[in-house]
Amino acid sequence: MSTTALAPPDGTETTASRSETRRQRRRRERLEERDAAIPAHLYGLKRGTVPLITALCALFAIFTLAPVVWIIINSTKSQANLFGSFGFWFARPFEFFHNFSLLFQNVDDNGTYFQWFGNTVLYAVLGGGGATALAAFAGYGFARFRFRGSKAFFYLMVGALLVPIAAITLPLYLVYAKAHLINSIWGMILPSLVSPVGVYLMRTYVELSVPRELIDAARIDGAGETRIFFRVALPLMVPGLMTVLLISVVTVWNNYFLPLIIFTQNRLFPLTVGMGVWSQVAERSGGNTNLYPMIVMGGLVTIVPMIALFLILQRYWRGGLLLGSIAN
Amino acid sequence: MPAVTLEKLTKVYATGIRAVDGLDLRVNEGEFVVLVGPSGCGKTTALRMVAGLEEITSGTLRFGDRVVNHVSPRHRDVAMVFQNYALYPHMTVRQNIGFALENKKIPAAERDRRVRSAADVLGLTELLSRKPRQLSGGQRQRVAMGRAIVREPSVFLMDEPLSNLDAKLRVRMRSEVLRVHRSIGAATLYVTHDQTEAMTMGDRVAVLRDGVLQQYGTPRKLYDSPANLFVASFIGSPEMNLYEASLEATEDGAAVVLGSQRLTLPGRTDVGQYYGRKIIIGIRPEDLGDPALGHGTRAGATAGGGHGTHPHAPLAADARLIEVLGSEQHVHFSVDATPAGGAAAAAGDTAQAGILAAGAPNGVARLDSRSAIRAGTRVMFSVDTERLHFFDADTGQAIATSSS
Amino acid sequence: MSDTATLKVPGQAPPPQAARRRGPGRSSWSRRRDRRGLAFIAPFMIAFGLFTLVPLGYAIYDSVYTTRIIGGTTFTGFGNYSQVLTSGPFWGGFARVIVFGAIQIPVMLVVAFFFATVFDLGVARLGRTFRTIFFIPFAVPIVVAAIMWGFLLEPTYGPITHLANALGFGGTNFLSSGLMLPSIIVIAIWEWTGYNSIILYSALKSVPRDVVEAAILDDTPLWKIILKIKLPMVRSAIVMLIFLNTIGALQLFIEPEILSYQGGSITNTWTPVVDIYNTSIANSQYNLGAAMAVVLALAIIAVSVGSMAFRRHRGELA
Repeated sequence: MSTTALAPPDGTETTASRSETRRQRRRRERLEERDAAIPAHLYGLKRGTVPLITALCALFAIFTLAPVVWIIINSTKSQANLFGSFGFWFARPFEFFHNFSLLFQNVDDNGTYFQWFGNTVLYAVLGGGGATALAAFAGYGFARFRFRGSKAFFYLMVGALLVPIAAITLPLYLVYAKAHLINSIWGMILPSLVSPVGVYLMRTYVELSVPRELIDAARIDGAGETRIFFRVALPLMVPGLMTVLLISVVTVWNNYFLPLIIFTQNRLFPLTVGMGVWSQVAERSGGNTNLYPMIVMGGLVTIVPMIALFLILQRYWRGGLLLGSIAN
Repeated sequence: MPAVTLEKLTKVYATGIRAVDGLDLRVNEGEFVVLVGPSGCGKTTALRMVAGLEEITSGTLRFGDRVVNHVSPRHRDVAMVFQNYALYPHMTVRQNIGFALENKKIPAAERDRRVRSAADVLGLTELLSRKPRQLSGGQRQRVAMGRAIVREPSVFLMDEPLSNLDAKLRVRMRSEVLRVHRSIGAATLYVTHDQTEAMTMGDRVAVLRDGVLQQYGTPRKLYDSPANLFVASFIGSPEMNLYEASLEATEDGAAVVLGSQRLTLPGRTDVGQYYGRKIIIGIRPEDLGDPALGHGTRAGATAGGGHGTHPHAPLAADARLIEVLGSEQHVHFSVDATPAGGAAAAAGDTAQAGILAAGAPNGVARLDSRSAIRAGTRVMFSVDTERLHFFDADTGQAIATSSS
Repeated sequence: MSDTATLKVPGQAPPPQAARRRGPGRSSWSRRRDRRGLAFIAPFMIAFGLFTLVPLGYAIYDSVYTTRIIGGTTFTGFGNYSQVLTSGPFWGGFARVIVFGAIQIPVMLVVAFFFATVFDLGVARLGRTFRTIFFIPFAVPIVVAAIMWGFLLEPTYGPITHLANALGFGGTNFLSSGLMLPSIIVIAIWEWTGYNSIILYSALKSVPRDVVEAAILDDTPLWKIILKIKLPMVRSAIVMLIFLNTIGALQLFIEPEILSYQGGSITNTWTPVVDIYNTSIANSQYNLGAAMAVVLALAIIAVSVGSMAFRRHRGELA
């Protein structure tokens, strides 16, 4: 947000009365945001520009939503209709619940969908949550301490972003083979704890929102470093934590390559790998199985939680953190 | 025909906040007008409405005889110097100054000439190829001014341009700004929160508070005849001493009852309707003198200044603390009277008003450096009663004072 | 820390130098405290070491050996590398991802910048709604995105194929070898535009308001404000995005892999990572795969650093 605006910094609430309803507050925030931005007419736009631009946005929105709309509509179709009927509208019979029940099947001993769903939740929560925790510690360490090698470690970590995942994941499989970590959930969770992007974002956020003076004051008051971290710094880091948590969870949820390599037992697959396997099976069998509606329904159930999470957590995360990382 | 006319200018934000309320102001050709007031008083909002950066909710804004309420800021022919300078960070000083001329499609040769001449006026000639991040605060401020003057606008607007400079630089830049103003000659509207800046720079000064104009006049007028309590305590440093008091009639005029003391005002007959009512009395620190040094010796006054002929009344007080400035002394005293809050208490700053606890000083006097008054003693000030200010205790408005 | 004053008492020597230590100003206490910082970064660094550096090191180690069914594992030094460097298909795949990146990244960034600017200026109705919609693809795993688009582009039944037929382009096969790359470019644009535009939007919002107001007072036309004032001021964001997008583009894997499951025309070496995957997993040639991965890593570094230098050069001229 503009520094000269009246609006409060991201993620914090104004000190206006708590008795405001949620809707009133949202309306006020929107008005403040509008007051804080430069009024559009000052840019000297011609008459028809706003509708034209809105139309372009709408076009792109259609492009963006098309696959999502498609998957919602087609999750209600039988296999025959999937290939027979018009893609973007419904067709009888309405098989949504039937398709949903198909997900409970075990196809070719590849494991059941809901097993995969449970796995994905487990990996995402532990991996994403753990990554956020490690990133919070490390970000705080890099931001507020000057120790020898701090810069070196940081650049090393950022440099690792350049390395292709293939170069890390494939040898990881071999390392796991020696360490008996193949087909272990920890083989999936532990590497997911490493999120250089998370550390980068947290470091930026700590620089922005945990003033050195506050920490120094706490030190003078005799608090130990751990105590300072948990009682002083962490509460101020919450909005950044939310963003990093969201990004980490989504990253693990969407991860394909790592589980593809390290899991050979189907019951451990996350949703991504499972869906990939189903696609393969469906193609090979040439339409003989009833797999296609399951794939469509499976895809829908895979994306619904994440989209819902996004929409719910929208208020905490307004891209302000991503902005902060750019400013540095 | 005034260069800029504000007529009942009002700004109400969508959230309901009234930033500026019915502002009436006239700026003449070539005049340097200062808008001054505490933070949030609406001075910057008013300036931005003149610039066209804020929409005018109601009222009329005229440049000359042209109503410009709905004219885009691009076409108002105003130039503005922003508080944070707002320089284009990726352009050189030369490009920054010349940018507006580029937009007007002025040919490069002419552009260069005007940029050079603006740079000369401001002493920026050596810095033309530098970028803003390579400049100091004062240099950036001058680039911001250069960018404005090169456009040769009809109206100049300045939004606290000196606030981000350190104190010494600020004092130097004040005269720089005035020098530039005089060489350009355009009507200028200057916003600041610093009353010293306002008083030393303005041809006329407008004091604002909570969006409402308190008084508009020359610095002298504002100082000698403040229209209300707010202006009285806002202008002048140290602040005017304000106390609750009352007026009563005497045989040859009137008298002020201040706590347990009475100050006679011989020959005063113009305050009749306030007899017996509560008023607030204001005494400027320099109107309290040390009688041992003779009447008419006010701090900083030249010998033989006409005020020696003014009637004086004695005022007893306890001197608590003496600040020696070298050129003068400030004596902090307590007098047995109830202090009336000035700008501080009026702004609801109860903490500051609360400091005026029993025993703490409740007034300041500016005495000549030769005065031998000592802290911790009971002193007798001589008060120049001709220069007393009286205010209505309910409205805060000034009652007639002698020097008008 | 100020100098301790020295009292000049006649007849007394000034205090010894040791008493006035003027080092870098950090007491041992503060240095010890700063070392606690190491403790904070330790958990991350340990995980980083174990799960990033160790495997990477192992890859390099592995790449200089070769395991054969007969003869076991022998040290072959540069052998694998020369095989990779002379492999036509591998470099064909590499050329393909370069082309992919060269088209997809600029197109996507232009679109993302356009929408970011639209949101920043507030010149579209329902800006917030659109922002949220555009970000939805980020919540969709690439696997699922590829599956969805695979259905949409299916040559016989896909809705988009039907649309193409209706528009007169009968018989188009979006998943054929000819149109596969353009199709994946479209999919990648779908996946990443929203994310990039949010980042650009944040960067644009951080441009100080008064700089834009100054430009307005200078009667700067809108196109100039966008291109000559705002764009240069968000250059660091753009550079970072080019960087990240390039690294991602060169590692293209999931979309072609999944589309191949759905009948798309993908060769075994269609992209470098596809090649590495097939070599390592399908053919169990781990050593060769490791060498390929190392070569790819070096190539990525070269391209990323190179493209940034090129951008900076262009940026100065713009």
